[in-house]
Amino acid sequence: MTRVSARTLQEWITAYTFLLPVLLGWGIFVFLAMLMSLYFSFTTFNLLKPPQWLGVDNYLRVVRHPDFFRYAVPNTLKYVAVVVPVQTVLSLIFAFALDQKLRARDFFRTAFYLPSVTSSVVIGIIFVWLFAPQGVINQLLGLEINWLNNTKTSLPTIMIVNIWSTTGTLMLIFLAGLQDIPGELYEAAAIDGASRLQMFRYVTVPLLRPVIFFVVTLGIIGTFQVFDQIYIMTKGGPLKSTMTWVYLIYFWGWQEVRPDMGRASAAAFLLAVTIFVVTMVQRRFIEGSEE
Amino acid sequence: MVRRHLLLPLLVLALLAVALGACAQQQQAAAPEVVTQVVERTVEVTKVVEREVPVEVTKVVEVPAERTEVRLSGWTASPEEENLLRSLLYECAVQRPDILVKYEPIPSDYWAKIKTMIGSGTEPDFYYMDIFQFPFFAEEGVLQPLDDYMAEAGVSRDEFIDTLIDAFTWNGQTYGIPKDFNTLALFYNKDLFDQAGVEYPTNDWTWEDLRAAAQAITEATGVAGFSVPADPGRFPIFVFQNGGQIMNEDFSDTLLDSPEVIEAAAFYTGAREEGWAIIPQDVGVGWQGEAFGKGDVAMVLEGGWMVPYLSAQFPDRNYSAVHPPAGPKGEGNLVFTVAYSVSVNSENPQAAFDAIACITSEENQLKVLESGFALPSRKALQDADYLTENEVARTIFTGAEFATPFMWGVQGETVNNAITQALERVYLEGMSVEDSFKQAAEEVRAALQE
Repeated sequence: MTRVSARTLQEWITAYTFLLPVLLGWGIFVFLAMLMSLYFSFTTFNLLKPPQWLGVDNYLRVVRHPDFFRYAVPNTLKYVAVVVPVQTVLSLIFAFALDQKLRARDFFRTAFYLPSVTSSVVIGIIFVWLFAPQGVINQLLGLEINWLNNTKTSLPTIMIVNIWSTTGTLMLIFLAGLQDIPGELYEAAAIDGASRLQMFRYVTVPLLRPVIFFVVTLGIIGTFQVFDQIYIMTKGGPLKSTMTWVYLIYFWGWQEVRPDMGRASAAAFLLAVTIFVVTMVQRRFIEGSEE
Repeated sequence: MVRRHLLLPLLVLALLAVALGACAQQQQAAAPEVVTQVVERTVEVTKVVEREVPVEVTKVVEVPAERTEVRLSGWTASPEEENLLRSLLYECAVQRPDILVKYEPIPSDYWAKIKTMIGSGTEPDFYYMDIFQFPFFAEEGVLQPLDDYMAEAGVSRDEFIDTLIDAFTWNGQTYGIPKDFNTLALFYNKDLFDQAGVEYPTNDWTWEDLRAAAQAITEATGVAGFSVPADPGRFPIFVFQNGGQIMNEDFSDTLLDSPEVIEAAAFYTGAREEGWAIIPQDVGVGWQGEAFGKGDVAMVLEGGWMVPYLSAQFPDRNYSAVHPPAGPKGEGNLVFTVAYSVSVNSENPQAAFDAIACITSEENQLKVLESGFALPSRKALQDADYLTENEVARTIFTGAEFATPFMWGVQGETVNNAITQALERVYLEGMSVEDSFKQAAEEVRAALQE
């Protein structure tokens, strides 16, 4: 007994020694930072002076601020509702297509994945040019829309950019999932006379269910937190048409002359709770339909 | 067996310990080497300076055994400006060998960084202070009043341009020594004026002259005469020229719904409606300076930053600049200015102030002027050759006389956004000027009352 537990102890020591650098980094820069901002959300804090205890007032100040329910929440929900389904379906289709024995398959796989490894700042700047009034998009489509300076088109434009840049990553995850589906299942389906489309619908999609859950979860978390493209392309404008939850947090916490870290932290925690709840509901939904 | 299991983690720990030890050693060893490091840097700088301004390169200075070290931080607008500051610091290292300035530039997110540093008590001894941010720092009491140091060093407030030194005054005390500034000027494209046969603008133009010339140019050339961006750094000068203000005196209320503001906004947005002005987005750019460079607009209100921008991007543009046209209540302009402020937590405020006094001395400010990057804050330089020879620089320098500082209090960004959106509602949604600015005033008031 003692021998075994001594051995276990050594294994623990070994394991934790290897984990130590990551645990330290994660503990300080993620976990401690999260705890601190939870604390800040109950205080008045402008960075220059130490935080003063305030209580739950910041949470009320978030939900009572006109920008929150009028712009930030609806814009974010619209964004999630459009981007998550579109990028999931698109990336699944791409992955299925590129799982076939196509000519130049590797080229297409690389091409679709390339946007994902490009900096979002660079992508943002390029799309500002593409969507300029005299830009490529308008010339190709023969339109004269000022995409980013029009309250009706600004948010959809940001959606397009984000779908374009994340679909590649999600496609890669689906491709990995597709590799796990045994070829015999397709062979059996083929013998039964299933078409390509039927195989996709009745073999691929059901077997990919856990991967789909993973991709949708990643998508929800990512889209709720949309920020960098908006920061680069529209700064929340015009007329707050691209003002999202995280952009509002950024404004309160960092952009205003007198930072309002308390309110910004409260809004960040409300966002975390929202993402958690939505992900849980979504899991119920996907797992529930399996039974 | 036991030993082998322990060996690996111990090895890792040992490696970590060695690495940490090395770091510690480096830090310990660094202190006495600082002096040599600085000398190396200054050699680089003198090369850069030699090209632009002739300075004596070899100066033998006896370095005192004990030097007071002070840290300085600022943002870096361009490598050229950073070199300029480094050359001034080099000059001051020669003039004040007892002070060692450690320059620690902050390349991005300057305000977030500096505020966080203050919160954690690690801010530099002195640092750049923008007028837009100043009210917050002054109100929180994190800056050192400089009047006593100024009196002792024989530096008078009168030596600096009134608008600038007054801007950095809070409750009767001086909290910053202005380093440079910019105002707005009416830049005009000479070729488009010639083409339309319209006489060039003058310093005594009024709104009506602006309208007449812009209309004539728009008709004759098809290029818009003027630009009226939804920009809180441009529109307010029309308010000042109409006798109005954006905020009340103690920034406790906004005047965005006052008749003066609404009239000014009606003229400003009316220019686009009447067809003689554009917003930059109409011609597919985000900034009117670019539209001007491309020749898509004949006149814009911009600052001194246009000069290096145009010579780099549009070297063929044939232009000049005059003061902004006067409104019904006379002249009005905005001043954008930056000062050196000393932290209230500095352990060596005297050395920090002495360094500032040296960097902003008349001799060194002349170098700033001649570099062409910024306009210096000293009155005495108004007769400098550079200004008499350079019309655009002179216009922007003298513009400070009727200028109001670009600052709207501790919630300045909220005010900026309210102005931008008030104009955007008129441009993009066709809302009436009055309704739009009333809404803007309500938004600002809601934020102020929280």
